[in-house]
Amino acid sequence: MIDALIDPWTWGNWMARGMLGAWLMGVTAAILGVFLYFRRLSLLADAISHVALLGLVIGYLIAGSLDPLVMLVSAMASGLAASFLIGALSAHPQVRSDAAMGIVFTGLFALGVVLLSTSVEDVHLDTQHALLGDVLGISDRSLILLGIAAGATLLLVGVFRRWLVISTFDPVHAAVIGVPVLAIHYMLISLVSVAAVAGFEAVGAILVIAMFVTPAATAHRLARSVSSMLLIAVIHATLSAVVGMYVAVWLELNPGGCIVVTGVIIYAIVLAWTAWASHRSQLKQSTSATLQARQ
Amino acid sequence: MHTLPASTLIAKGMQTHLWGARAAEFFRFEYDFVIRAVIASAVVAACCGVIGVFLVLRRMSLLGDATGHATLPGVAIAFLITGSKSLTGLLLGALGTAILAALTTAWLSRRRDSRPDASVAIVLAGFFALGVVLFSIVQRSATGAQAGVNHFLFGNATGITTPQLWLLAITSLVVMMFVALFYRPLALRTFDQAFAQSAGVRTGLLDLFFIILIAVAVVVALECVGVILVSAMLITPASAALLVSNRLNRVCLLSALFGAASGFFGVFLSYLQEGFSSGPMIVLVATFIFVVLLVISPRHGIIARALARRKPVHS
Repeated sequence: MIDALIDPWTWGNWMARGMLGAWLMGVTAAILGVFLYFRRLSLLADAISHVALLGLVIGYLIAGSLDPLVMLVSAMASGLAASFLIGALSAHPQVRSDAAMGIVFTGLFALGVVLLSTSVEDVHLDTQHALLGDVLGISDRSLILLGIAAGATLLLVGVFRRWLVISTFDPVHAAVIGVPVLAIHYMLISLVSVAAVAGFEAVGAILVIAMFVTPAATAHRLARSVSSMLLIAVIHATLSAVVGMYVAVWLELNPGGCIVVTGVIIYAIVLAWTAWASHRSQLKQSTSATLQARQ
Repeated sequence: MHTLPASTLIAKGMQTHLWGARAAEFFRFEYDFVIRAVIASAVVAACCGVIGVFLVLRRMSLLGDATGHATLPGVAIAFLITGSKSLTGLLLGALGTAILAALTTAWLSRRRDSRPDASVAIVLAGFFALGVVLFSIVQRSATGAQAGVNHFLFGNATGITTPQLWLLAITSLVVMMFVALFYRPLALRTFDQAFAQSAGVRTGLLDLFFIILIAVAVVVALECVGVILVSAMLITPASAALLVSNRLNRVCLLSALFGAASGFFGVFLSYLQEGFSSGPMIVLVATFIFVVLLVISPRHGIIARALARRKPVHS
C-alpha cells in the first residue's frame, strides 16, 4: 500500500511536476470559485475558459511563440473581451442572456479550434492537449503561469478580501460606501482568465470549469462563513487533486478526467450526507413537536 | 523559436491556394461522401434549430450545453460494452447519458438552496470528465485505437455512411414531426406555464418529453457537429431567427432554415482544407448568420434600432 503511494514519485520527476501543477490549479480555482459561486458567475468562467483558447492562439500568432508573459497577457485580454462581448450582447432586448453566453463562447471557441488545428506548431499546444489536458507532461511555462496565478490570487484575495466579500453579497451597499465594485469585478475576471489558461495543460479547457465550481458547491453545503467556505473548498481541491492523480497514475487514465471525477464524487457524497442529515433533523423536530402536542 | 508574422503563419497553415480548386470540386458533387455529409448536416442542424427555439425561449440554453457534453461517457460505455463502432449502439449510449444528465440538472436546480448555474456546470463537467476517463480505457483497447476521441469531440460529417445517413435523417424528421404535433402545448408551456396547466396540459409529462426530444436532437447532431459545440446548433440559429420575427411558427421555420444553411456551408468550408473539422465550421457559419442578422435585421437589428431611436415614431 505504502509502496503504491511512494513508487510513482521515484519513476521520474513528472509525478512531482504533475502533482504540483494539479494542486496549484485546484487551489487557485477553488479560492476564485467561491466568489464566482456567490456571484452566480460560474458559467461565465466556463465561457471564459473556452474563449481563452482563441486568445492563446492569437497571442501565439502575434508573438510567434508562447512564453508565460504572452500567455498571461492573452489570457487577461480574452477574459475581459469575452465578458464584455457577452454583456453587450445580453443588453440587446431580443437576445436572451443565457443564449448570449452560448453564442459568444461556442463561436469564438470554434474559431480558436480551427486556427489551432491549422496554424499553430507547438509541442504543448494542440487540440488534444488544450482540450483534455496532459498534466504529467506539463510544460515549464504552464507551471510558471500556475505559480503566478496562485500567487496573484492569494495576494489579491488576501488584500481585497473585505471588498470582495461585501461587493459579492451586497453590491449596492458596497458601491454606496465607496468600494470600487466594477474594478473588483474585473480583477476577479482577470484572475479567473489567467487561472483558466494556466489550467489548460493541467485539466484541459473544458474541465477547467469543474475546478472552479465543484469545491465551492461542496463547501456551500458544509460551511457557515466565507472563511470556512474558502478553507473547505481548498481542502476539497487538494483532496481531489491528490486522489485523482494517484488513480490516474495507477490505472493509466487521463489525469484531468480523474481529478474532476474525484471532485464530483466528493460533492455527491457531501450532497447526499447533508440532505440525509437535514431530513433526519426535520424528522426529529416534527416527532418531538407531535409528542409535545400529545402531552 | 520562430518570429514569422501572424499573417504568414496563418497563410502557411491555411493552404489558401488550393481553396479555389477544392471549392469547384465540392460544387460538382461528384463524391457520394460529400453528398451524404451535406444532407446529414443540413437535416440534423434543421432539427436542432427547431427544438432549439423552445429551449432558448425557456431560457434553458445551457441545459443544451450540459446535455451535449454528457453524451461523451455514453459513447464510451457503448463502445466498451459492444466493442464495435456501430453508430446505432454508440448513439443509444449517448442518448442514455444525455437524458440522465438533463434530468440530474433539472433535479439539482430544483433544490431550495441550489445555484442553477453551478448545477449545470457540475453536471456538464462531471459527465464530460467521466467520458474522458472512459475514453482513455477505450483508446488502450486494440480496436479502440482507431476510435479517436477527436471525431466525437468535433464531428466527422464526411465519415457518414448511407445506412447512418438514413438513421440520422429519419430520426431528425421524427423529432421535427413531434414538435409539429405537440406544437400548441409546447408553445403554451413556453410562454405561460399556469395557463398551460389550466388549459389541461400535463406540464410535468410535457417537460419530460421535451427533455427527451432535446437529448435526441443533440445525439443525432453528434456525428456532424461533435460533443463540445453541439449546443451552438440549439442556441445560435434559434437566436438568429428570434432577431427576425416575433411569431413562433415563423421563428421555428427560420431557425430550421438557418440551421440547414449552417450545415450545408459548414461542410463546404470543412471540405476546403485537410485540418478543418465539420463541427467548428458549421458553428462558425451559424455564428456568422447570427452576427449578420444582429446588424441588419429589419426588425431588431442594430442599424434598425439606431434609426428608430433617431426618428421617434408618433402614432
